[in-house]
Amino acid sequence: MRGSQNRSFTSTNSSRAIAAPPIDLTQDPPSNPQNARVIPASPSYFTGRPDSTDNYLDLLALLRRYQTLPTVAPAQAPRVAWRTVTQYRLLVGEPVRASKYHKVIEVLQRLNRIHPAVMPSPLKQAMEIYKRDIDPYAVSKRPNIIDADGRAYGVGRRKSSSAKVYLVQGEGEVLVNGKSINNAFGRIHDRESALWALKATGRMDKYNVWALVSGGGSTGQAEAITLGAAKALMVFEPALKPALRRGQFSSEFQSQ
Amino acid sequence: MILRRTIIRHGQRIANSPTKSWTRSLATEVDIDTLPSSTDSIAASLENSLRETKSLESEVEKETVQYVPHIDNRSHAAQNLLEDGTAERYSHHRFNQARTKSLGTSIDPNHYQPHKLLTYPPYPSDITLELLLASQAHLGHKTSHWNPMNSRYIFGIRQGIHIISLEQTAAHLRRACRVVSGVAERGGLILFVGTRAGQDRCVVKAAQMAGGCHLFERWTPGSITNGHQILGQCRTKVVDELDREIQGFDEELRERQVLKPDLVVCLNPMENWVMLHECGLNTIPTIGVIDTNANPTWVTYPIPANDDSLRCVQVIAGVLGRAGQEGQARRKEMAKIGVITYTPDTLRTDLSVSTQGARTGGSAEDIKGSDSGGGHT
Repeated sequence: MRGSQNRSFTSTNSSRAIAAPPIDLTQDPPSNPQNARVIPASPSYFTGRPDSTDNYLDLLALLRRYQTLPTVAPAQAPRVAWRTVTQYRLLVGEPVRASKYHKVIEVLQRLNRIHPAVMPSPLKQAMEIYKRDIDPYAVSKRPNIIDADGRAYGVGRRKSSSAKVYLVQGEGEVLVNGKSINNAFGRIHDRESALWALKATGRMDKYNVWALVSGGGSTGQAEAITLGAAKALMVFEPALKPALRRGQFSSEFQSQ
Repeated sequence: MILRRTIIRHGQRIANSPTKSWTRSLATEVDIDTLPSSTDSIAASLENSLRETKSLESEVEKETVQYVPHIDNRSHAAQNLLEDGTAERYSHHRFNQARTKSLGTSIDPNHYQPHKLLTYPPYPSDITLELLLASQAHLGHKTSHWNPMNSRYIFGIRQGIHIISLEQTAAHLRRACRVVSGVAERGGLILFVGTRAGQDRCVVKAAQMAGGCHLFERWTPGSITNGHQILGQCRTKVVDELDREIQGFDEELRERQVLKPDLVVCLNPMENWVMLHECGLNTIPTIGVIDTNANPTWVTYPIPANDDSLRCVQVIAGVLGRAGQEGQARRKEMAKIGVITYTPDTLRTDLSVSTQGARTGGSAEDIKGSDSGGGHT
């Protein structure tokens, strides 16, 4: 017979399905706004800090769930930069107490110590919210260099005093808070302490010192200038480090 | 310990290096030129180090380029950890645990396990004197610390403490369960409060079961009397009779008054007088665990029991949570057949137009109300 293979003997209209879809009786009736009532969005409503409280409860639940997984020592756990208190407050929009947030960090650090080979992915996702958007392995120290005006900068702290010390090549003038060193420190011991770095290395006549110091008393301020001047001197002459270490300028020069 | 730490930190330095002269620390007017040799030794060592650095070897070394391979801490350590076989060992451990769990002595499965009070709390029908006795609910305080208003709840004295009558405890606890389940059945908001250490888990669990709220840290005074200030930022939502959220009320909710609980359950009333006072001012009924030294008039429904025992508090919180759960279940059952057990809140926003348009296809009402036939409701 001539013609197409799919020829049928009924009209196209009558082969189309026309019955209504089956009744879905499992579905609940639609919401009736006349039966509406207002309830808290979170069970932590009466704490005044619902979001942060719920976050903490979720973390505790995760910890309970995964606390039997093998852990590693803290040094071997992956390095993580957790959010600061201020950042977390901005995130949740609530006045979170710093002590409460430290508890959150403690739980996170314990969760982070779970062995990477058995770390569950829902846990990894839950911890992402608390991480800062930086690479924790890419920490680099700000290089201390001599600026365009030939100044080196050093900071020293001692006994609630802090000193900002600028060193430039010069003749040996010293100004502390705009005053000469004899006016700034009445005690000879303090004057010597302040310039101990330059005295010990024999550079008293080679640099000018400009120091801004505040806080504490005379001894604290003098010792703060000591450390600041030593750090600034290190910028000019890094080779002086062993000598300054032998001069016992606090633990700053003890390590490595 | 402080001394030991100081010596450890500075001992090496003090032992090895020359100390500054004691005369310098005493004298205020000292001739600088006659100072002892500390400065000279430093200058000498400085000369030495400079001499060393100028030696031939150091010059040669400086010329050659020294390549130090950069160890990437992140990938190096992470790779070692992933390949140390821990995952395999842990899966073997789990396998062995599952295999050997059923071996050994068969202990009665219903023996006391502390975590079960939090994960599977007892029901109001499980309240027995044996349970309350085992939970140390009968132990009151020293007889000299009592509040005489509690004399009706006290059974006697033993070893210098008051013993609370467990029949009284059971009766009051059952009454409190009826109150909680009744409030839950009528769509009331129940607040569970337990601010002592260790009460957080049972309070959270009870609130979750009863569909209410929890509080396990300090109650902020004024949360009810000054609610707009303290709780004004906390979000609320509008739900229907089946607890499904209805959208579209955000603006109105922001202007609305702050919510107050309809019933407060307090597990340590001695530390929460301010909250109970606020509840009293606002005619909010309260349930409280009243020890022999507590004032039973602070709460509406006292439960004479030991509030210092965590196990007792967990039993009480668990039982009240279960009662709330039963009330919620009854409310939902009635809502399914169309009986609304609460007075709906009057809301200004009119959503009636949108609900008519939101009919989903295939529901019974759709067919009934359609105009494609002669069918009419």
